[in-house]
Amino acid sequence: MIINQLFPSGNDISSILMNLVWLTLFFSIILFFNQRIQIWAYQRNAEKATMKLQLLAEKSKEEALKNIQNFAPENIDVKSQITSFLDFFIIEPVDKDPFGVLNRLEHILDNRRDRIKLFISQIAPKAGKVEAANIEDVMEAAIALNFIFKIVRHYLLLGKKTKSLMIFIQLDMQLPLIMKIAEAYYKALKTFSSGKPIGDGLGPLVASRLMFGLPKQTIAEDIVCSEVNIENRKVYVIKAEGPGGVVGKPGEAVKRLVESLEGKVARIFMIDAASKLEGETTGEVVEGVGAAIGDPGPEKYKIEEVATKYKIPLDAIVCKMDIEEALTTMKKEIAEAADLIVNKIKKAIIERTKEGDIIIVAGIGNTIGIAQ
Amino acid sequence: MNSNKFTLISILLVIGAFILFLLSSFMDQYFIGQYTIANKIIMFIGLILLIASWGIYFMGLKQVKPQMTENVITVIACKNCNYREERPFMEGDYVFKELGSCKKCSGTSYIHAIYLVSVKK
Repeated sequence: MIINQLFPSGNDISSILMNLVWLTLFFSIILFFNQRIQIWAYQRNAEKATMKLQLLAEKSKEEALKNIQNFAPENIDVKSQITSFLDFFIIEPVDKDPFGVLNRLEHILDNRRDRIKLFISQIAPKAGKVEAANIEDVMEAAIALNFIFKIVRHYLLLGKKTKSLMIFIQLDMQLPLIMKIAEAYYKALKTFSSGKPIGDGLGPLVASRLMFGLPKQTIAEDIVCSEVNIENRKVYVIKAEGPGGVVGKPGEAVKRLVESLEGKVARIFMIDAASKLEGETTGEVVEGVGAAIGDPGPEKYKIEEVATKYKIPLDAIVCKMDIEEALTTMKKEIAEAADLIVNKIKKAIIERTKEGDIIIVAGIGNTIGIAQ
Repeated sequence: MNSNKFTLISILLVIGAFILFLLSSFMDQYFIGQYTIANKIIMFIGLILLIASWGIYFMGLKQVKPQMTENVITVIACKNCNYREERPFMEGDYVFKELGSCKKCSGTSYIHAIYLVSVKK
């Protein structure tokens, strides 16, 4: 039989030679095609991930289109305008000379926000304040997904072009985290379009619980403030103005408030969502010190600067959640943690301040679906 | 089926294939010239079992996520009394939205919370 001829088992010289041929062939494949086989395996993974990311990017574009079309005038081509705006980018300020880098970064971030607002006002003029803020969040998520897809595709094509195993290995190692972030953004986009509160809205929810029913005034861009009396202490509670999806400028608000009070503030409490480590429980409430705010830098800097200038202690209370939970509909555990934090703040105010003191409580986060 | 079961099945298949290969070599050794076709068939089955074990093992690596249904709940409360009601989320709902008069007293009812409850299917 042909199999016996190909794989002989005898002790004669021709059988030994034939086996040697097979061994040589096997080692030749391992020696010369080893890297190619590995590249093929990594490339296959990267291609599958890129296809999935492309699908998510396309679906997010359709979702954004569906959202905007309800408020768009009939005479403009919404689809082409959205497609071109998805590539909108910012160039970060030069940091080789770090002096004043945060002021320059803030200026660029303001420019970016203004451009997005202007785009939405042009493309969806019928949208009210709340709807426009939610569309802004939907566009942000769609821009992020489009960016992730383009970066992964870039490295895939670069790897193919250069046949570099290292590019594929690095891409493959980062893919699980990249896919997790992309899926979180996609789910977030659906939540933003329906206007439901998200996990990151924990800070504003706590602030709202404290200021509910009291008069409010705007003290900075998209930030409202209420004066609350807790056990004979004057507490200024601040949060982003909801229920539209905005974060506002809480750093600017805290700075203005402290300066207007000439630094006579006993304590600043900051409440925010914090990313949890694997193994930690969602909704776990933890206390610490420092400015609990996850902005790119300018807002955090303003709070730290004004607190340092007047030697005001900064207390941070955070609720643990992962990126997906922070960007998607608020879970029951997180909503329950808000009530727990309200009690913790009241207790901390009594324990750490005295009667007649002035205190600031800042609820940090995206206030989508949460009014005040 | 979880990934551990897939691994167990693939290990059992490898053991089965190994036994068949041993049987085949035993027959080759002690029944020279006899049962040659049966011997080849046994080897072939062993080979199939080995390939199947790889397939099952890699299938197990693709973790099957449990299917979850997501219910978004809107909690309605009253400013005056302890009235509390839960209903599915509706378009336009937001926390602290006033909903008119309370069903229990003359106070104002409002949306107290909106949250997600995940249930395993």
